[in-house]
Amino acid sequence: MSQPSRPKSPDDQTAMYIRVKRNKTTYFLQCVPSETILQIKEKLQELIDQPVNDQRLILMPNREVLDDSKSLADQKVENDAVVALTLRKDDNEFEEVNIVRPNDFYQSRETDGGF
Amino acid sequence: MKKEDTVKLISAEGFEFVIDKKAAMVSQTIRNMLTSPGSFAETEHGEVTFPEISTTILEKICQYFYWSLQYASGKETEFHIEPELTLELMMAANYLHT
Repeated sequence: MSQPSRPKSPDDQTAMYIRVKRNKTTYFLQCVPSETILQIKEKLQELIDQPVNDQRLILMPNREVLDDSKSLADQKVENDAVVALTLRKDDNEFEEVNIVRPNDFYQSRETDGGF
Repeated sequence: MKKEDTVKLISAEGFEFVIDKKAAMVSQTIRNMLTSPGSFAETEHGEVTFPEISTTILEKICQYFYWSLQYASGKETEFHIEPELTLELMMAANYLHT
């Protein structure tokens, strides 16, 4: 793995990224610490076609529900953080956090195997 | 961020990683796939499947892409690699020209 080098320009969009996870999908989002959760949800809306109001973001592993009006820095969301995405269901409630990990998947496949 | 500016990388176990094209282009192999029209059908839909790369390794690779962009813009941090991932990660990096 090579190490590139270029002039410094802090505060640009490469400043940090977060990993937004739901089921078997991970979205890598570039962001800056001063961005609000609402702005993050607006970015997600572009990707997943789900309105901002139907999204809930939860900081892992402590499962703190993130507040729309606060910034990433305010809520201690750091570079490379994992954030769970849950969506509003038909009954208006939000679904439970569901992040599938590869090991879980192997286990479930073994149990599905019927042997 | 627009959907067109992202690419979806799919691991051996079918896990999906949606990342910026700019980040994916850190890999010369993916760059070639994304910039040579016609030769790779899946890149037209913005999806690349890696049947030989496990989920854990593919996620690590995506983290590396973003770390690499940060490093290129002057943020000098270490990139942490768990020792048990090293061999598999190097094989994947070799394949991806990363």
